[in-house]
Amino acid sequence: MVPQTEFGDLMVLRRIGRKLRSLVSRIFRKRKNIKIGLYGPVNSGKTTLANKICMDWLGEELGKVSVIPHETREVKMKESVTIKDNGKSLTFNLVDTPGIATKIDFEDFIKYGLKKRTAKQRAKEATKGVIEAIKWLDDMDLVLVVLDSTKDPLTQVNITILGNLDARKIPLLIVANKVDLKRSKASRVRSAFPNYKTIGISAKTGFNIDELYKELFNAL
Amino acid sequence: MHCDWAVNLPENPKVSDMKNIMIKMIPYEKFKKDGIKSFLNDLQKDTIILIDAKLNPEEEALIIKETMEEVSSRFKGIELGSLDLSSGDKTTPFEKIRNSIIETIIGKKRGFTIIGPAKIVRKIKRDPEDLLLYM
Repeated sequence: MVPQTEFGDLMVLRRIGRKLRSLVSRIFRKRKNIKIGLYGPVNSGKTTLANKICMDWLGEELGKVSVIPHETREVKMKESVTIKDNGKSLTFNLVDTPGIATKIDFEDFIKYGLKKRTAKQRAKEATKGVIEAIKWLDDMDLVLVVLDSTKDPLTQVNITILGNLDARKIPLLIVANKVDLKRSKASRVRSAFPNYKTIGISAKTGFNIDELYKELFNAL
Repeated sequence: MHCDWAVNLPENPKVSDMKNIMIKMIPYEKFKKDGIKSFLNDLQKDTIILIDAKLNPEEEALIIKETMEEVSSRFKGIELGSLDLSSGDKTTPFEKIRNSIIETIIGKKRGFTIIGPAKIVRKIKRDPEDLLLYM
């Protein structure tokens, strides 16, 4: 009789498999296909930041932005983004991911004027997007955790994202976005997560974006 | 019988306005054995789940991922909150070592995790040393 595998054993096996995969991919990748991922909660400005980076270095945008939550519902990647600073250059693939959420209610989209059918479809795609974003975590070499600095940073979603990156030993930078807004409190983000490097920027206006580019060189 | 104190009491809420809120306690050992299967049905039936341990981040991500797969027009997902009682800003290095030994022996991280259906629990706020449930 085949013994039934317990959930706890599966978690351990999954963790070992992930570490092996990560080790092999890091050895063979030789830093040629570095992936930098943008992670964070919904509507924190991940795609706005992706667009800013792509516009600055490639002259084209990556995705559409919207005030309606879950505009990005699938992982999008822009290959071979090369940034330069003080004679150094860094080439990476930029991965924009759907916002991580624990709940998705199609009725929230109706409040933004979407029709019921469209709202339901959007909700369905959004759930798939969250699942896809979590699956992609293992492939990242560096993650920019994009948080909305006008909101309370101590949410379970943020804590879970940071905890998962720590568990996978993936380097990360916290980007406290939207510092151009009056309600912004980048200091609150810094004090909530004192163990991580936090950079306050505005992806929309480009404020302090050069500081972020410099930090990418240090982080990798 | 004299009872002045009763005069200022608010009106009794109507029974019809009150919701029957179910809270189910699940031992971490059961969650570790069966995973989300141990409470997914309960969540979908509007029951709040309380696990007697702080889950690790990977377990939390797995819960988010697997509940997302179940989202429908009726089940809108979850609110998740957890408290780690073994480490914090005020924990001394000695306490951290002691807690780590205790956790190795008992096989779980001291704390608790609460998972509520989004339909019932609007928000779980971290205080940061307490969890507040908004329903």
